[in-house]
Amino acid sequence: MQVFKTMFKVMRSRLPSAMIYIIIFLAISAFVTSQSTKDNKFEMNRLKVCVFDEDDTPESRALTEFIGKHNDIVEIDNNRDTITDSLYYKTVNYALIINKGYAERLAAGETAELFGSYHMDESYSVVYMSKMLDEYTGSVKAYLAMGKSLEEAVSATEAAMSQETEVEMFRVDKGGDSHFSVDFAQYFQFMPHILVSVIISIVSLVLVTMNKKDIRYRTNCSCLKNSKYTFQLFFGSFLFVLFIWLIFMVAGTVFNKEMYTGRAWLAVLNSFIFSMVVAALAVFIASFEPKDNILNLITQVLGLGMSFFCGVFVPMEILSDGVLSAARFLPAYWYVRANRMISEKDAFSSEGVMKCMLIECLFIVVLVLMTILVRRLRYSSASIGSAVKKAAA
Amino acid sequence: MEKNVVKINELVKRYGDLIALDHFSLEIKEGEVFGLLGPNGSGKTTTINCLLSLLSFDKGDIEIFGKKMTPVSYDIKKEIGVIMQNVAVFDELTVYENIDYFCGLYITDKAKRKQCVEEAIKFVGLEDFRKFYPKKLSGGLLRRLNIACGIAHKPKLIILDEPTVAVDPQSRNRILEGIQELNRNGATVIYTSHYMEEVEQICTRIAIMDKGRKVAEGTKDELKRMIKNTETITIEILELPDDVRREVSGLPHVYDVSFEDSKLVISCSGGKHNLTRVLDVLQKRELSFGGVYTELPTLNDVFLEITGKALRDKED
Repeated sequence: MQVFKTMFKVMRSRLPSAMIYIIIFLAISAFVTSQSTKDNKFEMNRLKVCVFDEDDTPESRALTEFIGKHNDIVEIDNNRDTITDSLYYKTVNYALIINKGYAERLAAGETAELFGSYHMDESYSVVYMSKMLDEYTGSVKAYLAMGKSLEEAVSATEAAMSQETEVEMFRVDKGGDSHFSVDFAQYFQFMPHILVSVIISIVSLVLVTMNKKDIRYRTNCSCLKNSKYTFQLFFGSFLFVLFIWLIFMVAGTVFNKEMYTGRAWLAVLNSFIFSMVVAALAVFIASFEPKDNILNLITQVLGLGMSFFCGVFVPMEILSDGVLSAARFLPAYWYVRANRMISEKDAFSSEGVMKCMLIECLFIVVLVLMTILVRRLRYSSASIGSAVKKAAA
Repeated sequence: MEKNVVKINELVKRYGDLIALDHFSLEIKEGEVFGLLGPNGSGKTTTINCLLSLLSFDKGDIEIFGKKMTPVSYDIKKEIGVIMQNVAVFDELTVYENIDYFCGLYITDKAKRKQCVEEAIKFVGLEDFRKFYPKKLSGGLLRRLNIACGIAHKPKLIILDEPTVAVDPQSRNRILEGIQELNRNGATVIYTSHYMEEVEQICTRIAIMDKGRKVAEGTKDELKRMIKNTETITIEILELPDDVRREVSGLPHVYDVSFEDSKLVISCSGGKHNLTRVLDVLQKRELSFGGVYTELPTLNDVFLEITGKALRDKED
């Protein structure tokens, strides 16, 4: 297994750069995983509200008290500069002015010009407060119409609005036997980029080095059988790809804090098939015997190109139809499609997932055939006879 | 009678319309250091590639160690070591690892291989560089590493294709001594080079190729006898009257006389006492002369006379 062992010795020179790729990917994945929430708790949002009561009646004070129950009342000076500064620095989300005559207008069933306000345009706090005040005044108006006094109408409104609706959070991605959360899917989503970057940059480089014209010449002169030589090269490449893939699979279980179960195994299988596609791609690229700097360029173009066009970095929803049509000719597209189905971003169907995986396998077959063809053409164009052609095959 | 190590019989190799080898035949005996000479494009490298079964050929037979050579003759390949003009080593491996890799293509037994690698390192004098990477080695040391990679498995037939190109005189001398030592240890050597003095120094028999054919073969003395020129006389003289020049040209065995930059150059073909006869003519005419030199033909003269002086720009 001399060739096999030497492959790994040659790999040593490239391992540091590959390790940097892997560490950065794992660090980003760890960060993203730690930032994502898996809590199922619901909590009402509380705004920082300052109230300027210019009416100063029992009804306006009751409103202020009601607002304070559901929000945090902040006291600031009632001048325009202070209020706008507070809104700018977000020490206050909403400044409410209860206009003079509020109680009288309310008693008359009028809801116009009850309030003034300072707020940031288009902010969610504006919508939230406006909705609450509309609901409050509308409710009071309704109770008054029912014949209740203003005091009774305010009390009844407060009682009605103080009732809280019970909220239960439900994550659709964690149900049944499918243990493939959105966060986990995200981890698998970014995998094509790192697999392409690491596998092509290392496997192609090693194969190019092992098959350098002069070295290959010397190897062909030796008594090592060509079949044995080729087998050792492919076995070494396969083991390396398997090792890299296993690193990501083990890291996946660490980040997800649980072993793969249910549908997650489909994602594991999908990533394994994609790793094999990338390995076949690496062998195909190596058959052109590119120089080191060209190989780096190819790796970057393929890694980033597939990631941007096939929905790895940019969600498929915002990619144009033209881009998606072109992306169908790239294996990463089918990997992402399968991943989306498994994570139920798209409707799940086992036939659909299998179809994507089969298309990925087809890419492997096509790449292997193209590699054989390229090698045959290169050898014959170099006017090397049948002996070497046999070795290439 | 010495056994044939290599026997090439009526070999023909075509690249389309171009005939690279034209009914080329050759026999190399055991223990020889055989020089294969020829201008660029004469077919030396094609011959070696066919010999190693790296190239198919259209016609003819090749036998090595008495067996027919084919691409799957691994038992024959086991006994062959190849050292090419280009240094074929891994930049990513150390000196030791490189020799170990190429030796390991022939010898699987780890202990035996280790011993062979150590002996090869010692043989080429790279003991102090075993942990060095090739990029840290000078040109001469690289050539020595290249040789070590080719001979570590102790082959019985060693093929060297211009192994001393771009090597300093010390390293070249060391390499040539090494080849002679390998030969003394029992290896048969096929050596190609453009450096005639090297071939003259180490080869016991020489074949000259041109246009895919063998145009001459023999020991260096046999080859020298094949050419017209056997002696070149050079005399430093200030002036040479035409009648003197005619008289010298008419002397027995003289076939060419030239006078340029106060140097009279007389080419002789065979015969004895050529110098005495020329000096007699000059003294009789009372012409004063300075230095007198006489040279026997070199292999370079043989090569140029047989293959011609026209430039060859084709790559072999």
